[in-house]
Amino acid sequence: MAKKKCVAMLLAGGQGSRLHSLTSNLAKPAVPFGGKYRIIDFTLSNCTNSGIDTVGVLTQYQPLVLNSYIGIGSAWDLDRKNGGVTVLPPYSESKEMKWYTGTACAIYQNLNYLIQYDPEYVLILSGDHIYKMNYELMLDFHIKRDADATISVIEVPWDEASRFGILNTDSDMKVVEFDEKPANPKNNLASMGIYIFKWSVLKEYLIKDAALPDSSHDFGKDILPTLLSDQKKLFAYPFSGYWKDVGTVRSLWEANMDLLDDTCGLDLFDYTWRIYSVNPNQPPQFISDDALVVDSLINEGCVIEGEVEKSVLFQGVKVEKGALIKESVIMPDAVIGKNVFIEKAIVPSEMVIPDGTIIRALPDADDEIVLVTEDMLQSL
Amino acid sequence: MDRKLLGVIDATTYQKGLEDLIQHRSLAAVPFGGRYRLIDFILSNMVNSGIKSVAIFPKNQYRSLMDHLGSGKDWDLNRKRDGLFFFPAPAEEKEITSFNHFAANKDFFDRSNQQYALISNCFTVCNMDFEPILDWHIKSGCDITEVRKDGRSLHMFLMKKSLLVELFETREETGYTCMRDVVTDINSPYRQCHYEFKGYAVMIDSITTYFNESMKLLKPSIWKELFLKNQPVYTKVKDEPPTRYFTGASVKNSVIANGCLIEGTVENSIISRAVKIGKGSVIKNSIIMQKCQIGENCVLDSVVLDKDVKVNNGTMMYGTKELPYVVRKGTVQGALMNS
Repeated sequence: MAKKKCVAMLLAGGQGSRLHSLTSNLAKPAVPFGGKYRIIDFTLSNCTNSGIDTVGVLTQYQPLVLNSYIGIGSAWDLDRKNGGVTVLPPYSESKEMKWYTGTACAIYQNLNYLIQYDPEYVLILSGDHIYKMNYELMLDFHIKRDADATISVIEVPWDEASRFGILNTDSDMKVVEFDEKPANPKNNLASMGIYIFKWSVLKEYLIKDAALPDSSHDFGKDILPTLLSDQKKLFAYPFSGYWKDVGTVRSLWEANMDLLDDTCGLDLFDYTWRIYSVNPNQPPQFISDDALVVDSLINEGCVIEGEVEKSVLFQGVKVEKGALIKESVIMPDAVIGKNVFIEKAIVPSEMVIPDGTIIRALPDADDEIVLVTEDMLQSL
Repeated sequence: MDRKLLGVIDATTYQKGLEDLIQHRSLAAVPFGGRYRLIDFILSNMVNSGIKSVAIFPKNQYRSLMDHLGSGKDWDLNRKRDGLFFFPAPAEEKEITSFNHFAANKDFFDRSNQQYALISNCFTVCNMDFEPILDWHIKSGCDITEVRKDGRSLHMFLMKKSLLVELFETREETGYTCMRDVVTDINSPYRQCHYEFKGYAVMIDSITTYFNESMKLLKPSIWKELFLKNQPVYTKVKDEPPTRYFTGASVKNSVIANGCLIEGTVENSIISRAVKIGKGSVIKNSIIMQKCQIGENCVLDSVVLDKDVKVNNGTMMYGTKELPYVVRKGTVQGALMNS
């Protein structure tokens, strides 16, 4: 294999259990987002747009959909003769079957993948976030400071800082302290779970960490704190722009709604930074005489005969006459029957909502965002 | 018995009456239906009918066609064995006939191991399965089967590949220049049959048919017949985001492709990919091709805008159903012009 300057390792094994039925048969990075994408499209497109052509995708939980979606990576221009995308599932060794028990563990078990490219730098990514980022700029930052590890950080609102892993730095952005979910944060720079390591340093610390029986084999909890205590050079790379973890039904809904807000900072129409995805090859959308569509994103293959307001509709959705959809996300190939009313809901793929159904949160519900389930439709 | 079909697309045709649209592109590459090019229909039909090898014979202005087809990947025709073959005409021959063009590439026909050949034009819009037609052809025992719609030839012909080779090899003696010459010759020694296709099929051979047949896509019955789920029409992938409808947008009875930004009113129209329609603008009975930018407070009725046309704020443009107003690719239309 030809030597690579930087290889990306994309952690895509997350279950995303707080997305409930949306992740019952697919991994979180494969969850549909934004009318035509899956969550992982953002990270894979960032790689391609940043000039990174070698990406290992680590899968574990429910990998079927994700594996077939990624394929040989051609949708992201990652079908390369040298490099490209490689799906890295857990595997069994001669003595035992090894699952990925932590983020560092997953990379450790694929050291051979990295060794074959012998890169200078390794970029660790998570397939759970919606954002557009030029990793090349972060790599330049890392190289310029001769860092051993660089952690991308984003300013979060002070009142939310205690939910994140906070990094305390000196004035030159050198990391002086990790503060995991601090009760009284000294800073509001949260780790985005994006790391660049010198390959030699990463390899050394992954091997050391793997031998520790008490380690949880996690980058945030184990590897980075050890590097810091060993006086290694750790820097925080400040990122500004849209970044969102879509780990809950509400945050997934919010991130979809953000796409309808021109001030949110996530522009899908920016042709210099396209988000690529597997093309569903559907005919254009058809908007009938009875339809009304405003403030919405509608994908190809939709047939709209009802009213759609402030909503995101994926490919192949049918909205029948008299239906009214407000502030909702309708996933691929769902059918919204006649005179259905849906407000602030997520309708999963291929779900058929019978004629006349009313979907909105009950007045006493914990959350006003409804994830529609088959059970819910049965009980109506 | 080997019943495989070789697909041959004759893209050498130049249609008078479509000049505005084929000035810079082959007829095969004329945009249609919001996200397709005319050739997508026949090419997808061939692929969906199990044809693994397709040869395309274009003549002039084939740059946009080549760009569209690429390696054939979007039709699953980037194969190690068979796949998509592209045979541009020799540059020095201006008036090359189909049979001369085929004969110049006889090697390809010799190397292909398919027993039958389907020769088709590149400008018929339809969703046709050729497998039953081949069955019919074999059972009928005819030499040449011509596919027809309402008794009119669709310029699609099935025959043994060996017969096709014989036809173009003997062109000097017979005087035949293309398949049409063969089937219209009452003294032709070949047994001809006509297969009547029952579904929707139309040849785009003038601006009026182009316009009217585009408008027929707005009829659900035609739409459903053309875009079958198990026989999809493939096209070049563009990675456009979904279409964004803004506050104040009003879209009725229209076909809209991806990547559009719509703030105005659209009625009875076909809007291609990545079109912008500004506030207060009204687009009626029109065909707007890729990447057109229509400013604010414009009125367009019965207009065909070719790709990349920019329409300045406040511009009014009118055509008629019989004679739509056609605007050439890449032009800028101002409020003071054409009003």
